[in-house]
Amino acid sequence: MFAQRMIPADDCAVTPDHVDAFVKQTCEVIVGKNRAVKLAVACLLARGHLLIEDIPGVGKTTLSQALARSLALAFQRIQFTSDLLPADILGNSIFDRHEQRFVFHRGPLFSQVVLIDEVNRATPKTQSALLEAMEEQHISIDGVTYQLPEPFFVIATQNPQTAVGTFPLPESQLDRFLMRIELGVPERASERAMLLGMDRREMLKELKPVISPRTLFEIQDNVRNVHASAALLDYLQDLLDASRQRHTTGLSPRAGLALLHASQAWALMNGRDMVLPEDLQAIGIAVMGHRLGHDIAQPGQSGRTLADNLLHSVPVP
Amino acid sequence: MRLSKSRSSRRTQQWKDTTIPRRPLLWLAAALLFTLPPMLGNLASWVAWFFLLALALKFWMEPRGYRLRSTILKLILACLMLGAIFLSYGTLKGIEPGVSLLAVLVSLKILEAHTAREFQMIVMMAWVLCLCGFLLSQDFAVAFCLFVASALLIAALVQFHRGSSPGAFWVPLVTTFKLLAQAAPVVVLLFLLFPRINTGLQLRIGDFHAAMTGFSDRLSPGGIATLANSSEIAFRAEFPDSRTGPAGPLYWRGVVMWRCEGMEWRGPYSPTSISDSSRRYPARDKAIRQRITIAPHGLRWMFALDRPFGIPSGAMLARGNYLYSVRPIRKPRRYEVLSSIEPIDKELDAYERRQALQLPASITPAVSELAASWATHDSEPRAIVKSALQFFRTQGFRYSVSPGEYNKNDLEEFLFHRRTGFCEHYAASFATLMRLAGIPARVVVGYLGGEYNDLGGFFLVRQADTHAWCEVWIPDHGWMRVDPTTAVAPDRAGLDLSSFLASRVASGEMATGRGALLTRLTRLALVNQIRSIWEALNYQWDTRVLGFDADVQDVFLTSLGLTKSGPLPLAMQVLIVIFVLLIIYAGWMQLRTRRRVDRIQALYERYCQKLARIGVRRDPCEGPVDFEKRATQSLPSASKYVRQITETYIALRYAPEPAVISVDKFAKEINAFTAHT
Repeated sequence: MFAQRMIPADDCAVTPDHVDAFVKQTCEVIVGKNRAVKLAVACLLARGHLLIEDIPGVGKTTLSQALARSLALAFQRIQFTSDLLPADILGNSIFDRHEQRFVFHRGPLFSQVVLIDEVNRATPKTQSALLEAMEEQHISIDGVTYQLPEPFFVIATQNPQTAVGTFPLPESQLDRFLMRIELGVPERASERAMLLGMDRREMLKELKPVISPRTLFEIQDNVRNVHASAALLDYLQDLLDASRQRHTTGLSPRAGLALLHASQAWALMNGRDMVLPEDLQAIGIAVMGHRLGHDIAQPGQSGRTLADNLLHSVPVP
Repeated sequence: MRLSKSRSSRRTQQWKDTTIPRRPLLWLAAALLFTLPPMLGNLASWVAWFFLLALALKFWMEPRGYRLRSTILKLILACLMLGAIFLSYGTLKGIEPGVSLLAVLVSLKILEAHTAREFQMIVMMAWVLCLCGFLLSQDFAVAFCLFVASALLIAALVQFHRGSSPGAFWVPLVTTFKLLAQAAPVVVLLFLLFPRINTGLQLRIGDFHAAMTGFSDRLSPGGIATLANSSEIAFRAEFPDSRTGPAGPLYWRGVVMWRCEGMEWRGPYSPTSISDSSRRYPARDKAIRQRITIAPHGLRWMFALDRPFGIPSGAMLARGNYLYSVRPIRKPRRYEVLSSIEPIDKELDAYERRQALQLPASITPAVSELAASWATHDSEPRAIVKSALQFFRTQGFRYSVSPGEYNKNDLEEFLFHRRTGFCEHYAASFATLMRLAGIPARVVVGYLGGEYNDLGGFFLVRQADTHAWCEVWIPDHGWMRVDPTTAVAPDRAGLDLSSFLASRVASGEMATGRGALLTRLTRLALVNQIRSIWEALNYQWDTRVLGFDADVQDVFLTSLGLTKSGPLPLAMQVLIVIFVLLIIYAGWMQLRTRRRVDRIQALYERYCQKLARIGVRRDPCEGPVDFEKRATQSLPSASKYVRQITETYIALRYAPEPAVISVDKFAKEINAFTAHT
């Protein structure tokens, strides 16, 4: 694909040490998926949430666990099913007989890295409860607002929407994920390495934290300081304009912000203090793909193809 | 189930997409309204009404989603219209049926239209309609309307393509104005240089409606009175030597009538030409130069003050000293002529004397006796003229626009009983009486006076100023002008007819008849001011624009140094000039847009061009780093420079503080680049 042609997958040239080590360690667990791992890290550094769309068994859970462990963050995994209720993930108020009052019992969402498995299996009610929490970073129950921990990073996995018994996420909710990536089946050599190597579960246990939460905050702050020049913003806006002209629902302003933050994170990961058009192109498909996937006027075109077309047709100013 | 639902939803979607948005439709409607004026009065009246009806219907139908759908209905309507046009004109050939057909078809198209393509088609058809308007009339007012119409059509197109972007009024107008301003130089150039085709006017533009206006070669009682209400323009006259012209009333002679039939007079059927060359030209200070622009009247009269000299080309001097055009005047015509102040004829030849004394057999004894009584009293011609005028002055004659019906034999009735008449009655009866008294006399029909336009410095003469007067032969003087009307209404000669009538109304001598409001309005200074501005503009339009025909263009081109070379080489020259101008324009535009792109970008593009020349072409969507990689791979020798240039470029364009490196350094790097490769 386009971005892959532009920037080789294993291009991890000059990264700041921490991020470099972080990426490297994760890449050891998820073999041969360097690019997907880098995108996932960029998403985390840009303070966004990640959606992984792929068939079961390609390492979605492993990836999210590896990320959580390398960062020494609290990790929770929630399996979404069709009978899951909002209270099951947010928490419940239960009457405490000793204290004679209702006590709020926090649900599994109160964690730093939350892996939502098969997010499209839950009913829209539960989905929207989750997505609201993701956007607001807090939960309001019974008139009390509970702040979610920082950092708060949601990795949701999703089966391809052709699968039976799913509730596809509506556009408005897809927009809240900064990126959508696909892991895909590994190459033959990588798969062989995986087959020969240690058990992944063992490896996860042995992972050591490489970035403290505090360092992560610093890096996240630095991401926002990466310089985006007027020329780059021109390019970004050209992309947005082009998407709005071509598609019935073009990219939203939130998508514009997402593009900017993700490309800043990517630039930082590549050891630069400024964003280049290449950074935008590298994260372009992951950020725009799921946002463009709903064009009624062009049915049968996947969002990734549409995003790819955009990147291929909007000239770099 | 699901399938059918989606299909129906798709249909509604299409339905919604294919209505014409309201705002462009409003612009279009406004434009179409401005194409109406030339139709009014020139086409069958129902055409304009149908056109209006279609427009109104469209506004009623469009929000409701109605339109003309059925093919059969459309066919029937088209056939009906075709039939109606045939019935109205009796033919389908010619300009008016053709334009009617176009107007009707545009109306039907409006009812049918619902897609973007059809909207644009209507706009195109409306432009053709504008052009056709010029076939019907070339008045300044019409031209103005059609100009507005075509501008509004541009605005309609602009608004149509802007979709629902904000600003539906000023933005399209401003764009339209810009477009027109850009087109103006080309228009002026084409106007000046485009070859005028003089092929005898096979289209015969202007040779239809009311082909003949003004007086004819027959002066019958009541003939001129019918023109008294006509505000149509006859001609405009300028006096190049003295702005306001000579003092005294202006008698513009049109035709001289020799043949007397009592109260009715006739001009010659085909006037005989008399030679101009044998006459002695008057001295410069004894002549009045006039520049006259005739409005087309379909006849051959050309106008000048008494005793014209310097006959313009295409005209001849007819017996009786008046100008006569070789061809009927069907388009505005401009010419210069001199008029001598002093009398020129010294002798009356036998033929003219016979002509000027011819009398009909139907003269009654009472009339003959009246004339004879003057002649026996004093045989000196001047005395006879004087006593005749005295007769009109003292015997209770009245001047009136509507004196009632007279027959050509009613001379006695007029002279002794009713004694009410308009100028033609006085002129005819006076000349007949003179002949009865033995004095050679003739009637002249033309115009008297004219309204002076301060702004344009010209006299505007309308059909209402048509006048008839007499000329009598005085042996030692020659032909002398006598206007018997002034004996009855002494101030008529000093004023144009409408002011004269107004003064009559004011002094209570006449009842406020027609157009009392109009008369009152014309007394307002502001209205007069606007009217005179409008007329000055009209004059400029007629003389400068419509009058710019092949001859004038020839003179203009010769003055530019372009020799007369026939229409085809001229067309080639024009095309070449336009082509060169377009190239200059395109170059200028290119330069202007280039200037906007900042210098860094321009330099980088130059570098890309240099690389492209050696085979590494940058994809427009390729970022600088990717391009650098590709370039270094395919040009390892230049890799050092490529890397350096890219680094500088990124630092200048994307880095937080681009001022660290100067642009000049970048320019130097790029200039040096060719040398390395």
